Amino acid sequence: MLTLWDAPKGASVTITGLKQGLHQLVLNRLSEMGLDQGQTVLCLRRSPFNGPVVVAIADCVYSLEQQIASHIFIQPLS
Amino acid sequence: MKRIILVGKPNSGKSLLFNQLTGLRQKVANFPGVTVELKTGRFDAFELVDFPGTYSMSTLSRDEDIAVEKINQALLDDNTALIICNLDATRLESSLVFGMQMLALARRFNKKMLFALNMIDEVERFGHHIDVNALAADVGCPVAALSAKTLQGISEFKQQALALANAPTVPAEPMNEATTANIAADTPVNPLVQSRKLAAKYGIKASIVLKTQNRIDAFMLNNVSGSIAFLLVMFLLFQSIFTFATPLMDGVENALGALAQAITGMIGPGMLSDFLNDAIFGGLGSFLVFVPQIMVLTLIIGLLEDSGYLARAALICHRPLSYFGLSGRSFIPYLSAHACAIPAIMAARTIESPRKRLITMLTIPLMSCSARLPVYALLISVLIPQQQYLGGLINLQGVAFFSLYLFGILTALLVSFVLSRTANDDAKSDMPFILELPTYRLPHWKPLIHRVVQSAKQFIYRAGPVIFVVSLVIWTLGYFPSDAGGLEYSYLGQIGHFIEPLFTPLGIDWRYGIAILMSFLAREVFVGALGTLFGIEGADENIAGLAANIQQDGLAFGAGIGILLFYVVALQCVATVATLKAETGSTKLVLGLVAGYGALAYLLAFMAASLIG
Ligand SMILES: Nc1nc2c(ncn2[C@@H]2O[C@H](COP(=O)(O)OP(=O)(O)OP(=O)(O)O)[C@@H](O)[C@H]2O)c(=O)[nH]1
Ligand SMILES: [Mg+2]
Repeated sequence: MLTLWDAPKGASVTITGLKQGLHQLVLNRLSEMGLDQGQTVLCLRRSPFNGPVVVAIADCVYSLEQQIASHIFIQPLS
Repeated sequence: MKRIILVGKPNSGKSLLFNQLTGLRQKVANFPGVTVELKTGRFDAFELVDFPGTYSMSTLSRDEDIAVEKINQALLDDNTALIICNLDATRLESSLVFGMQMLALARRFNKKMLFALNMIDEVERFGHHIDVNALAADVGCPVAALSAKTLQGISEFKQQALALANAPTVPAEPMNEATTANIAADTPVNPLVQSRKLAAKYGIKASIVLKTQNRIDAFMLNNVSGSIAFLLVMFLLFQSIFTFATPLMDGVENALGALAQAITGMIGPGMLSDFLNDAIFGGLGSFLVFVPQIMVLTLIIGLLEDSGYLARAALICHRPLSYFGLSGRSFIPYLSAHACAIPAIMAARTIESPRKRLITMLTIPLMSCSARLPVYALLISVLIPQQQYLGGLINLQGVAFFSLYLFGILTALLVSFVLSRTANDDAKSDMPFILELPTYRLPHWKPLIHRVVQSAKQFIYRAGPVIFVVSLVIWTLGYFPSDAGGLEYSYLGQIGHFIEPLFTPLGIDWRYGIAILMSFLAREVFVGALGTLFGIEGADENIAGLAANIQQDGLAFGAGIGILLFYVVALQCVATVATLKAETGSTKLVLGLVAGYGALAYLLAFMAASLIG
């Protein structure tokens, strides 16, 4: 399945779920940030050498490292 | 005293509002996680408490833990008269996530609450209007729109806050019409869903708010232009400490020289004139010369902090820093450590991973803080010729400065690398990196200038008295017995020869030894102490700069470099040690650190002296 880590720059994607394995506190935070099932996220940038991705979620822009982005399942927005 | 607490999302303008209400000047800057401890001030008859920002009641980092812990205490405390929850009006959704959680708690514990809808000036700039009354009715809690920057709405806000705080607490009222009829009538009310709905109804569209910021980021975070911009910013930062400050420093030095000549000319030769010349102008004066440099440094760090760029720099650095066991978030404390290590160690609280936070704290003292500036500047002007390249764009002394900073940073990375391989893991140790990128803002000039002036004052107040006393003691011990035949035979000379063996391996004589030992009181003392010593020796010369005196006296290049490396690495600051101890909770660890850095510093100085010669 695709994750947010795979999303190309400029793509709008829909969150389909979160993968197991993250700390509960991190899961809470992600969901509060708006990384909830059904929410739309815009992938703004990717950094070289597997650096953090930059995404717009709701009214904020966040940078997330691979460890997190690869735990977020997505679906390209059709 | 009854208390009002000021809470909310990070970077939403709490501290600026706090400053406006109390007249104090807490640090305000444009990145999340500026305030990392509670700060109190007086607002009318109340004690106002500024909190570290938190995204949620469920926390990730130490500064958030502190905020939530203290919020819980405040909820139980009868003295809490009012909770002011600050919202960033341009980002209603993310502000309300915490806001609605806070409101639910306030209701549960029967506390009065007021939403401060801050940054309303920006909302208006976007041509948007928020219907405050309707919003208040929907959330079921009073809301006041204001701008902590332009001060619009602030007097109404004050009135409203005080009226609420002074009103008697009504015994837990049953949910009234307004609250039950609010738009998020889903039960149980989910703060997330609720904030989303409220934001959709009242807020500005995200795409409008984020437009400018994303456009600038397209450049600043681009792989090519972003990297160039980053390197350029860092190079300019360190180069400008030297370039911009040099003319100002020359000015101060000339003014002091003229003053010294005028005064000593007036009182004629004698012991008093010797004293003024050596201890006051030589000792204290050679330290005052560096005030402009501190101011330039503070100005540039302040500009960076206010612009919003620091969060981007942290993002760019995250991956490289990870190799050394650090986080991108370590970048901000590292940068501010170049002004002073103490606030930087506190700022490490924002690093989510406890292990990375610890490593960051332990390596912060290797960043060249402003107290080292005088030592660097003095020795560089002794050792490195004033040489320009590329039509003045690159200055050899400036490059030397930059190299010393870089040496500190590289040593810190190396130490981090070693520490990260040895420190043991536990489950919570690897909290991942999540960082909000704030909007870009133009710097706020007035507070910035205040901060620059303040930095100069602090620099003088902190080290000035110590240097004065040290200069006085050194002068007295070095001047007497006055018939002994000079400094070598004075009381100080006798003490000096006793400690000299410690410094002979470093290729320096006892005068430098005394200055180095004395600088454990404050690093700047090195310059003051040497100034006094050379002042006594060059009794009847014209007042030349200290650097010229040292050059004439002769200091071997390798030994000079050795002293510089010693100052880069050695942990000589008592206040830093105390802060480290408080933040890590381990005396053993910190004492080990002092010993370790001390040994490394000595070794480096020894190697430089013997290898370079
Ligand atoms: N335009 C505008 N900018 C504001 C306003 N209030 C604060 N700012 C800016 O917003 C940024 C953050 O302000 P702070 O007061 O440091 O925010 P804070 O909520 O204390 O942040 P933390 O301590 O990190 O939680 C700074 O750059 C301020 O200058 C406002 O009313 N209008
Ligand atoms: Mg603050």
